Amino acid sequence: MKQRKRVLGAFIAASALFAAACSDDDKSTTPATEAPDGTDAPDATDAPDGTDAPDTTDGPVETDPPAAEGWAVDTSLCVDEAAANAPIEGTIKIGSAMPLSGGAAAAAFAPVKDGFEAYIQYANENDILGDMEIEIAIEDDQYNAELTPGAVATQLDAGAHIFSGIIGSANNAAVRDTLNQNCVPQLAALTGSPAWGDVANYPWTTGEFVPYTIESQVYAAQIAELYPEGATVSLFHVNNEFGQVYVDAFNEIAGDYGIEIIGEETIEAAEQAPPTAQITNIAAAKPDVIMAVPLGAQCIGFLTEVANAKAADPSWTPAVFLTNTCASSLILGAAGAAADGLYTSSNGVDIMDPAVQDIPAVAEYIAYMEGLGKSDIATTAGAGWTAAEVTVAILKQAMESPEGLTRASIINAARNFEYVPMLVVDGVTFTMNGETDPYIAQSLVVRQYDAESATFTDVGELITDFES
Amino acid sequence: MKSFVTIKEGSATHWAIRLVVAAAIVWLAIRIPTVWEAGTISTAIDALTLMAAAMALNLVLGYAGQISIGHSAFLGIGAYTTGIMVSRWGFSPWLTFPVAFAVSFLLGVIVSFPAARIKGVYLALVTLALGLVFPQMMTWKKLAWLTGGGSGLPVSCPATGVSRTCPGTEVPTTGFNIGPAAKGQMETFEIFGWKPFGNLQRPDNKAAFYYWIAAIVAVVVYLCCRGVVKSRIGRSLIAIRDNETAAAVMGVNLVSTKAFIFGISAGLCALPGCVKAITTGGVSPEGLVSITVLGAITFLIVMVIGGAGSLWGPVIGAVLYVFINDKTGTWDKDEKIPGLFRPLLSWAEVAPADGIFALLLILLMFVAPRGLVGMWKQYSPLIVRVVPRPAGAGGAAIALATASADTTTTNEGDTQ
Repeated sequence: MKQRKRVLGAFIAASALFAAACSDDDKSTTPATEAPDGTDAPDATDAPDGTDAPDTTDGPVETDPPAAEGWAVDTSLCVDEAAANAPIEGTIKIGSAMPLSGGAAAAAFAPVKDGFEAYIQYANENDILGDMEIEIAIEDDQYNAELTPGAVATQLDAGAHIFSGIIGSANNAAVRDTLNQNCVPQLAALTGSPAWGDVANYPWTTGEFVPYTIESQVYAAQIAELYPEGATVSLFHVNNEFGQVYVDAFNEIAGDYGIEIIGEETIEAAEQAPPTAQITNIAAAKPDVIMAVPLGAQCIGFLTEVANAKAADPSWTPAVFLTNTCASSLILGAAGAAADGLYTSSNGVDIMDPAVQDIPAVAEYIAYMEGLGKSDIATTAGAGWTAAEVTVAILKQAMESPEGLTRASIINAARNFEYVPMLVVDGVTFTMNGETDPYIAQSLVVRQYDAESATFTDVGELITDFES
Repeated sequence: MKSFVTIKEGSATHWAIRLVVAAAIVWLAIRIPTVWEAGTISTAIDALTLMAAAMALNLVLGYAGQISIGHSAFLGIGAYTTGIMVSRWGFSPWLTFPVAFAVSFLLGVIVSFPAARIKGVYLALVTLALGLVFPQMMTWKKLAWLTGGGSGLPVSCPATGVSRTCPGTEVPTTGFNIGPAAKGQMETFEIFGWKPFGNLQRPDNKAAFYYWIAAIVAVVVYLCCRGVVKSRIGRSLIAIRDNETAAAVMGVNLVSTKAFIFGISAGLCALPGCVKAITTGGVSPEGLVSITVLGAITFLIVMVIGGAGSLWGPVIGAVLYVFINDKTGTWDKDEKIPGLFRPLLSWAEVAPADGIFALLLILLMFVAPRGLVGMWKQYSPLIVRVVPRPAGAGGAAIALATASADTTTTNEGDTQ
């Protein structure tokens, strides 16, 4: 009898679960809703003239609309050419795929999603696209590239006009063919893989981050400046495409900067244990510099182990260069004193710096996020905000083009683009120009971290040498 | 135990029910790619590949009682075989299926040798080591010339531009971009002049094409598993699982039987790996979570929820797993969670699929340790009882069995 009761209970629970699962659950759609108090957006017309030199982060700077003779996509290759050139009216639907479940990845990227959704809401409330409503639907792919095609297909079925802010190199690559074949813009891919600059073969795909290859070169140049007589460098990197791209680029240009690579250690992407053995090997070689490309929580383990090794051998004081994907105040804060003095880079403002928080655009961002109850405003949320901001700026530029808003005009606008987002450092302009300049961001400033104040200090000027 | 309905196995009524169920399955299988949209078809593809992998694992774990937490490696062998053969050497993806089966079969047989000497948690650890080592082997720098190292294999090549070769290689993309497709030319799948899916660049057509590949693989794996389970070897497996010593005394060759079943299971598990590589368009441990040990744990969960030691268990488990994942994937905000579950699931601020499965697993362990199919077998006789045909069944035997139906219990063992 007891057994039957238990079975009955289980059956009821399972039925309820099934019923709930069958119920209509709207996708992660964010229509325009009420604005948080006191966060009115600046009038678009208040923005500085786009013809001016890129200004500070006082607010988004709109620049010239695309030149009529600029790069234009060939829609004759599209599966449905008419759809690619059909006008989009009333509502523009943006699709995306991010990890909403799946453990650590979901938790780590949750601020990106918050930042992305917040800016879309901000844009709707402030009529940045006039009467055009922006709708964002984010599907869960659990940071698993096997699930991204399904997530994207679901949104295509639901009428998504463009995709933006898909997180992860493998995830973006998994849907790149489908979106390019069907001529659906795939904007602001949230990775720095140089693969997103392949305009000839993937004209409909654009990236958002500075390519990892450029970041490597920036570090090499800074190492050469710190060690004019030449430096010995040990590499530590995650063993996946992300780490491999960095290291390949660094190996290629090391000789040009008088750098001798004396060791290379790796860590598997899924490994979360501290890299004790690897750092022991590096410490044994006593390089002048450690160039490190770990991933997520591995950044903390790496810094802690380096600090331990330095404590064990006080005569060894290497400079540590850490990829900017680790340069979040959340990660470095967790590493504590072990992160002190490391070098990294960025093209965004240090939102956690109290001095920076006084900049009007940053203050507005913070106030808006806090108004939404999103207190996590650190770098990752800022990345989501900026990706959405760039996407909306591209849409605005496309609307103002002679063709009006179509999928083709959107990618044409993206590839003939010049814009200064709210949260970038003074002097950074996001630009793209067809095949001549396929990457939206190519400028970086090297920074050094101060663990005591938990802020960064710029080392030298913004490096714009790699802008095409 | 009284039943509302009693049906004789092999009777006209029994066959009619079987035909109706089979027709319903075929109807659904055809309806999915022809009526549903690409997103839903993709979800179905996930379910089909997952059920094929879980069915393969079920042979070893459910029937032979050999614990394996490393079947993700076999699936990975399938994925990498397809990736390497297509992107490195330009083979047709179709040829990679039998090769993947053969390679994985061999590795399975090799793994079975320690399995012949150890069992229980020790065997689990050996297979776990395999599951952990495999992704690291594939990203090993010294194998990068073959596997692509940490970057994986660039099996998806430009599809819309002028170039029709993979970046950095001279190998034409005969694989994942199915069919010849010069600039502006339609990609298609053609068989004897017939193009059943039309232009494969359309998401719906491509999804339908991939769906049928996954469906055929799932059916092949099911039929192979059924063939093994219903054969003499299948009975040997059950004997080994229930009592190894007794099985050996009865003449079962433990070593060869275990080697065979590990090999078959590994080979079959490689087939959905080929499908994963084709549908995802890339192979790397980071891009294909199923080939890491997390994949092996997922296969295990699916099999246990559906019902280990049952042919239909992995099928039911996979459908349920994918369905819940799909439906709860956007439950990351309070307002999106149905009211009944909001107090329970809203605290995490991430979609709760993992938590739901954890709860479901705990619940099932209490009320249905043999999974959903086991629960059905246990309680369905309250409604309908199928009287098994006695061995050497003649008319008298069937009559005898029917007469005693009320006093006998059905064998809740292991065959369908």
